Amino acid sequence: MKNQAVKYYPMLPVLAAYAVLFLIGRNMSGMWQLVAMLLFYCALGQAFNIFLGMTGYVDFGYVAFMGVGTYGMALAISRLAHIEGLGAGIIVIGFVLAVLMSTLLSIAVGAVALRLRGAYFAIATIGVNEGFRFLIEGARIWNGSEGIIFTAQLNQILGREAASALAIFWADVFVLTIAVAAALVTLIYMRSKIGYALTALREDEDAAKVMGINVTKFKIIAFITSASFAGLVGASSWALKTPYVFPPEVFEIHYTIEAIIIVLLGGAGTLLGPLVGGLIYGISKYYLSIFIPGFQLLIFAPIIIVIIVVFPEGVVGMLKAKTRNTAAGRFIV
Amino acid sequence: MVFEQLAGNLFQGLVLGAVYGMATMGLSLIFGVLKVVNVGHGAFVMVGAFITFWLFSALGVNPIFAIPVAFVIGLGLGLFFYYTVIQRLIKAPELATLLATFSIGVLLQEVIKLIFGSEFRGYNWTVGKIDLGLTVLPVSKLLACLGSVGIAVLLYIWFNRTRAGSAMRSVVEDSEGARVCGVNVGAAYAWSFALGIGLTVTSGVLLTMFIPVGINPYMGGGYTLKAFVIAVLGGLSSPYGAFFGGLVFGLIENGSYTLFALLPGVEPFALTRFLSFVILLIILLIRPTGLLARK
Repeated sequence: MKNQAVKYYPMLPVLAAYAVLFLIGRNMSGMWQLVAMLLFYCALGQAFNIFLGMTGYVDFGYVAFMGVGTYGMALAISRLAHIEGLGAGIIVIGFVLAVLMSTLLSIAVGAVALRLRGAYFAIATIGVNEGFRFLIEGARIWNGSEGIIFTAQLNQILGREAASALAIFWADVFVLTIAVAAALVTLIYMRSKIGYALTALREDEDAAKVMGINVTKFKIIAFITSASFAGLVGASSWALKTPYVFPPEVFEIHYTIEAIIIVLLGGAGTLLGPLVGGLIYGISKYYLSIFIPGFQLLIFAPIIIVIIVVFPEGVVGMLKAKTRNTAAGRFIV
Repeated sequence: MVFEQLAGNLFQGLVLGAVYGMATMGLSLIFGVLKVVNVGHGAFVMVGAFITFWLFSALGVNPIFAIPVAFVIGLGLGLFFYYTVIQRLIKAPELATLLATFSIGVLLQEVIKLIFGSEFRGYNWTVGKIDLGLTVLPVSKLLACLGSVGIAVLLYIWFNRTRAGSAMRSVVEDSEGARVCGVNVGAAYAWSFALGIGLTVTSGVLLTMFIPVGINPYMGGGYTLKAFVIAVLGGLSSPYGAFFGGLVFGLIENGSYTLFALLPGVEPFALTRFLSFVILLIILLIRPTGLLARK
């Protein structure tokens, strides 16, 4: 039994960090907005890391899953608002729909793209985000390029005050929950057969195959898990905070870029990496936007290039190597 | 009536397709020689467009003279990024070069945004039009098409008639074998990357003839996707395959636009871009080596 608990020790620093973040946000005036942004980036990183970090495959169309998640919540609220007595249950339906839609899209994309290796996979994913956006706009699905605005429905169901509390507080609490859940799932995967299979595949896919590992199955598991978390992040951080959805905004490649930066900065494939990366990126973006608004990527793009060339293991990866076989090492994964 | 329109648009597609093809040769060259996928491809196209825009509007330079300028700047950028970044990642996992070239693209976008701002820019170079009966073709587009064909021919001659060109081809075939035969593989890598980037930046000059007011730091994303569709059409590692892939893609793009426009209640432009993504997936699935590639 004791051994089982030791496996999950690395969750402690993760939980501690999120608790500290939450307390700072609640107790220091004016800090909640910053904390909410940090939570968004950490959650984005945790979710993205499950695929990029664990498989070593890069999905350039990742934001599409956040986009359809946002649509899931938007469709639930805008289409079901007329049903009496749903109340706050409509949010639950929205989350279920968000997970369902992002999972379905990831199965569709994964079934095609995950048959492909390395570079070919990356090429296939480059168009997912744009392709899906232009399908929605072109075929006028879900109102096409006009998008969905559901502020009125949300106010009608929950009442103006509850809707506003949802936007400025509860949506961020959901994001926090998603981030913790994604971290927990990452650790569970790491400590199970899935994690070992993915490590083998990341090191040498051919060898893993020869050893009898069903590499495609494990890649798809990681892909779908990562995508459904992205759908949840979109549903809470975008749909609930700003009750509208427009295709060009939710299928914006910018967020894929940010996810890549966060995961690489912290350390791909580590548990703490996305958290550390999210904090570094979020805090720098927040303060950079005061001095030079809109140019954080000008600073981060060269930093990421240097990281890829000089220390590809990221901040947590280096920390992990330093603390190996020490007491602290048990907590840093 | 519809058929006349379709024929006219297909002709325009062929003209644009030649430029698309030339714009993809650099991507295929780099993949063929270095096995590196340049995910930042579109950003280099964008740099070429801005060079043309700046030379024309600030110095009054004819876009035709922007071609050598863009090519030299492209060579320089290629050598710079090769020696600072790519060379160190040749032996690293594929993920590293994918993310590195992607980040280089982001960096270029941000630098151009810092210099020029993020508004849409354009320039007006009037050199008349030719009426071909079926369609009216601006001379600027015709020149871009001829320029693309000319560059492709020059590249062909260079590859087949010069020592450096043969060395590069030998590296594509078998880099170990080339090394044994005394080819300086390191230099071939560096110059292929530089040449690839040079061609890509140059294609940005030619593409501005087709986008009167579409020059913007973020314009590259669409070209990256198109270039990948074209490159896989042509087999991904062959510059000539890419050129013919471009012709095919130009026909598909303009043809499907004409047909989608007949459907009620859709946005044909958006559907055309969706279609290019579907084509990409289908080719990758059934023939990842490309439709035009030799077995």
